[in-house]
Amino acid sequence: MKILENMEKSIQSSKMLYILILIVGVSTLYFVIPSVTVAEETPQTFLTHTGLVISTTGDVIDPIGYDGEALDFDPAKFMKNFDYGDVSVLEDGTTLREFYITARNDRVMEVSPGVFYNVWTFNDSVPGPTIRATEGDLIRIHFTNEGSKSHSLHFHGIHKAEMDGVFENIGPGGKFTYEFYAEPVGLHLYHCHVHPVEEHIAHGMYGAYIVDPKEGRDSAEEFIFVLNGLDTDFDGENNFYAANTIPFYYQHHPIEIPVNQKIRAYVVNVLEFDAVNNFHLHGTLFHHYPAGTNSVPSGYNDMLTMSQGDRQILEFSYKYPGLYMFHAHNTEFSEKGWVSTFLAKETTDDFDNKVEYDDII
Amino acid sequence: MTSSKPKIAISAIAPIVLLAILIVFLLGPASTFLQFGIILPEISIEKIQFLEDEIHATVRNTGPVDVNVVVADVNDRIQPAAIEPDSHLERFETGLVRIPFDWNEGQPYAVGLTIDDGTRFEKRVDAASASLEPNSELFAFLGVIGLLIGVVPIMIGLLWYPFINKLGKNSFNFFLAFTIGLLLFLALDAIEEAFEISNMHLASVFNGELLIATVIILSFLALFGIGNFLIKRSEFSKLSKGLAISLMVAIGIGLHNLGEGLAVGAAIALGEVALSTFLIIGFATHNTTEGLAIAAPFARTKSAIGKMICFGMIAGIPAIFGTWIGGFSFSPFLTVIFLSIGAGAIFQVVWSIFKFIKEDSDSFSNISVICGIGVGLVVMYLTSIFI
Repeated sequence: MKILENMEKSIQSSKMLYILILIVGVSTLYFVIPSVTVAEETPQTFLTHTGLVISTTGDVIDPIGYDGEALDFDPAKFMKNFDYGDVSVLEDGTTLREFYITARNDRVMEVSPGVFYNVWTFNDSVPGPTIRATEGDLIRIHFTNEGSKSHSLHFHGIHKAEMDGVFENIGPGGKFTYEFYAEPVGLHLYHCHVHPVEEHIAHGMYGAYIVDPKEGRDSAEEFIFVLNGLDTDFDGENNFYAANTIPFYYQHHPIEIPVNQKIRAYVVNVLEFDAVNNFHLHGTLFHHYPAGTNSVPSGYNDMLTMSQGDRQILEFSYKYPGLYMFHAHNTEFSEKGWVSTFLAKETTDDFDNKVEYDDII
Repeated sequence: MTSSKPKIAISAIAPIVLLAILIVFLLGPASTFLQFGIILPEISIEKIQFLEDEIHATVRNTGPVDVNVVVADVNDRIQPAAIEPDSHLERFETGLVRIPFDWNEGQPYAVGLTIDDGTRFEKRVDAASASLEPNSELFAFLGVIGLLIGVVPIMIGLLWYPFINKLGKNSFNFFLAFTIGLLLFLALDAIEEAFEISNMHLASVFNGELLIATVIILSFLALFGIGNFLIKRSEFSKLSKGLAISLMVAIGIGLHNLGEGLAVGAAIALGEVALSTFLIIGFATHNTTEGLAIAAPFARTKSAIGKMICFGMIAGIPAIFGTWIGGFSFSPFLTVIFLSIGAGAIFQVVWSIFKFIKEDSDSFSNISVICGIGVGLVVMYLTSIFI
């Protein structure tokens, strides 16, 4: 009898044991066996930097896919977009250029395929619009701060102290009109100067400012390249580097130029966190003009080294057609996005050694 | 009795139903009200493998929200890559990131993955070495390793049996106590290793410390139940008590060796150790003492040698399975669990031997017992230095 009772007891307790084993077993398997969602059946292929072809049934994660549609910023348009303002002539004959700049700090932009980052913007763009005027013009900027933080506009160049945008922060909802004459001739920049300045610049509050000489410039194919970076995880180091914000953009979307055509590049370095940035051009050399303030080039080179706030006007042309890289020769930066290409083309299609560039890219 | 059964059922289910309603309320209508704090997504790179012209990283979403893995890099330089099955990872879901990369043998690498909010996560490997291809050669290799660190040393240790069998009472107690020392050390060793693997490979979301503690206690309780059953049976059958304890020791050590084998197999597969002859010698020396632990309670029982060899197998063979499992599919979660099971099992065995000594000899506080435990610990420490 006693044995039977024990049996019953042990059956009761074994039920509990089964429950325990079930719970432990199921929870272990849940974590050990990777849960798998149904994969795509058709494999896709992609090309690596070294030419390897990889086939995968999964997703390709590569900045190559960036098409600029997810945000209102297109590096292909930005590089040729110069904002001359609303032009009118004052009674004394001075040209007045009026610009409207709105600051915001709430936009989230897809800065690289799949990477979403809160950018602080002038006119919903990083970099802000490229302000362009002729020496002696009166520049009037109607600045509105629609952000939740204080912002300002600080222009490099010659102007009165109260137009310097440093000591007068414009609070949320505030407005301010900056007014100054465009001088000196050259390539300058503007940025927000509200403390902490590093944070405001790192988030994207900057732009280029070009003052042309009264007599104008030689005709050339002109581009603006603002060299910047993105610290998307706020560790004080840039996760991405670029010319005009989007990493690897011009590598996968080459900038088409004619051979033997004079090219003028306005290069502004606003890079945060790194002491120097640089610019290296392949296949040709350029004449460069520091800050664009002198009419005589200070050198003939294929390398430029710039610290933050430095800018240079570059003039060059390509002798031979082909695909040429330009990038940071600090290769860390180039391998994190600051790598671009020019595609020099003959003006007519019937030249020798014609290369199918579509195969290369 | 039977009429109140529905009532009992209701009283058991009612709190669960109410809790479910509460959860639905908190997730639904109250969810906006209760939103506070910043939700930080997190991913953990669990494993990095080096294949021909490719680096593979196994990544798990260990944060509170779904994420997309969008950028891969090697040594902080962005690389085009693929992620399978797709870049979207739900909570606890894993993905395999394939990065085409011409890596160099023996060089340290850091693999980084960036998720959709721009946060980058990184895991470092001290020295790259080609991941082992799962083939029959590796199968045999891992089997031999398991044999060398598990079965062979235990069998050698069992050869002490005739010697222990002829000892006087005090000396015999000394050796029983000696095995307690050995086993305590093994348990501590396993716990330390479990913590190490948990810290290195297991995401914080798994609460490694609590997982280890929970599994140790569960394992102790399970073995406690089995032990009581065996000892009770030994009262009715011809199975002597010493034999039952011996079997318990063998099971405990077997579970321990499974965990140890997993850790060794994983270390080989991940290329984390240079597996030298010296290391094998260290493990073998260390584990020879495990044979002694089985042989000691076995002494004075009039049992066949066959049984003893059988017990040795129970203790040693799991090491082979461990190296296979660890070598072919490393899972930090599983390794931590098995190391903890081993530790819990050994604590139970220690408890059993304690009781055995206490019942068998009137003088438990005998100096020979204290010395035995102490010497056991020291011997294990010294042999562990070689590993």
